[in-house]
Amino acid sequence: MSDAAATAPALELAGVRKSFGNTEIIRGVDLAIPRGERHAIIGPNGAGKSTLFNLISGRFPASRGAIRLNGEDITRLKPFQINRKGLSRSFQITNIFHNLSVFENLRCAVLWSLGYRYSFWHRLAGLADARQRADEVLEAIGLASRRERPAGLLTYAEQRALEIGITIAGGADVILLDEPTAGMSRSETDHVVELVRRVTAGKTLVMVEHDMGVVFNLADRISVLVYGEVLATGKPEEIRANAAVQEAYLGTIHEDAAHA
Amino acid sequence: MRYQPINLGRWLIWGATALLMAVLPLIFTQGFAITLLSQMGIAIIFTLSYNMLLGQSGMLSFGHAVYSGLGAYIAVHVLNLASKGQVWMPLSLLPLVGGLAGAFFGVLFGYVTTKRAGTTFAMITLGIGELVFSCSLMFPEFFGGEGGITTNRVFGQPFLGLTFGPGVQVYYLIALWCLASMAAMYAWSHTPLGRMANAVRDNPERAEFVGYDTHKVRWFTLIISAFFAGIAGALACINFEIVTAENVSAIRSGGVLFAAFIGGVTFFFGPIIGACLFVYFVVALSDHTKAWLLYLGLFFMLMVMFAPGGIASLIVMQLPVIARGRFRSLLPHYARTGAAGLLVLAALVLTVEMTYKVSVDSANGTAMTLLGVDFDAAGTLPWALAGVLWIVGGWLFHRAWLRLSHTWGEIQAEIAGARA
Repeated sequence: MSDAAATAPALELAGVRKSFGNTEIIRGVDLAIPRGERHAIIGPNGAGKSTLFNLISGRFPASRGAIRLNGEDITRLKPFQINRKGLSRSFQITNIFHNLSVFENLRCAVLWSLGYRYSFWHRLAGLADARQRADEVLEAIGLASRRERPAGLLTYAEQRALEIGITIAGGADVILLDEPTAGMSRSETDHVVELVRRVTAGKTLVMVEHDMGVVFNLADRISVLVYGEVLATGKPEEIRANAAVQEAYLGTIHEDAAHA
Repeated sequence: MRYQPINLGRWLIWGATALLMAVLPLIFTQGFAITLLSQMGIAIIFTLSYNMLLGQSGMLSFGHAVYSGLGAYIAVHVLNLASKGQVWMPLSLLPLVGGLAGAFFGVLFGYVTTKRAGTTFAMITLGIGELVFSCSLMFPEFFGGEGGITTNRVFGQPFLGLTFGPGVQVYYLIALWCLASMAAMYAWSHTPLGRMANAVRDNPERAEFVGYDTHKVRWFTLIISAFFAGIAGALACINFEIVTAENVSAIRSGGVLFAAFIGGVTFFFGPIIGACLFVYFVVALSDHTKAWLLYLGLFFMLMVMFAPGGIASLIVMQLPVIARGRFRSLLPHYARTGAAGLLVLAALVLTVEMTYKVSVDSANGTAMTLLGVDFDAAGTLPWALAGVLWIVGGWLFHRAWLRLSHTWGEIQAEIAGARA
């Protein structure tokens, strides 16, 4: 890594805009997330949080602005190219390989990063490193007892855990999690928070999350996105105290956080 | 230490397959049987190569004959050059030429077709199939026009006493290539590319987000699939000593889809069963009846409606029942349902054949023979018999089927209970 890359933020957005037709969904977002930070993006429904994730991960092209990963411009790259540069994401709606076993899901997620690419001359069974890495992740997400089960037959909470497993398995150092606790009970949520904390240790984490308990528990810094603009970015206590944030969006944060 | 629990079973299955292929022509020695077996061997390679796309990668192709057919054309030209002594190419290695030709066209056409998956892919393959077929009429020097390109597989000095003149020698050549191709395609399904093809089939978007270019996964898979299709094409060229435009036609492309589907696309061995059955339908049945296409169509419809996983899935469904030790209690039900099914089949065959005789073939009189029985298709008695068969067979089948599903349901509940 060059010196510039070493000092650059892990993820940096500069003047990012996105329009669908005449509607501008993202209206100029600037954001710099330093290496190793856990960053949460919050905001009301329709604020553009998921769209922002889709722009960063290359699912949609940004209309304007620049997105940089470790100082390198990734604005125009395709999802697989961005992934190879060390950014991996999860999805709000579970996005797994339904007909493959849990273990195969994870093995598929590690193959590229281990350099097997499009190989048709390696036997999968002979790739000890891929098996080992997949089994490590399997253990970490607590699905070892489901190893051979088709992923489509898992419970919702198990599928969400697998979703996180697939996201981190390739060893990316910037992880984007889109509502990892959506639709979960309180005890399942606590479990996921613990899991996320463990598997993203030492990595840069960006997450979209509605559960304010989770956000204030996990995040080092928080950005509030309202109508496609960043209203405020800061430490959890600063966000709590920010009058503009309270006026535009919150009130509920205090209550949710207090309950957590 | 490597953990491979079913390795022994795998070796047994492959060994048994090889043994079966080796002894079959010793049991069925008639020329007709050898022809049938040879065509089955070719069809197995072709159908398995097709299923690399359909079953393993989720690509529904309507133009797979393009690769086998062009492989066959290149092979026939190389064979003709070789027999003139202009190039060196032993007959036994000709399938490799066909395979490389298939792969070459896979590189060319596949780049375009695999850009998209799903319906778009299916439509483009249809287009490329038509394109190549129309080329076969536009370039008669290469495609041989209506008559096709003929060849003679016997040339040069015999190799180890093999001239490849007799059908049985050709059969063994096909069997060897078939076995090697089956093993190679099975091995492919257990490589990183093979597994990622499954992943792209299940969820292309997720595959992109774990670092894979789905276009390349599909493209490379198609090239390998086209390679094996080309091998099948070259073997067909050796077997029939003629290659015509039919080899690249939509009929051939549709046939392989039929075969794969009948056998079952979700299991590796499904297309093998499908290929054998399909060849049997096309070659054997077409000798016995003019209505063979109708039977094939009906069979295909029944499979799609009642066993969409193909015959392979019907077999695999039995495994937990056998493991539970309950297969024995199903056997009488299978026997009853099967027997009643045979009555319905007899009613169908009688009706169809008599209808054909009366409406299509009545110029030669209405006397006909079925299963060695002579009768008059214009008479009342045979039609009445057909009617009785329909009613009695249908009623018996319905009853047997209900009892079978009842018992089946009980056993499934029992298995589910034991698992929980």
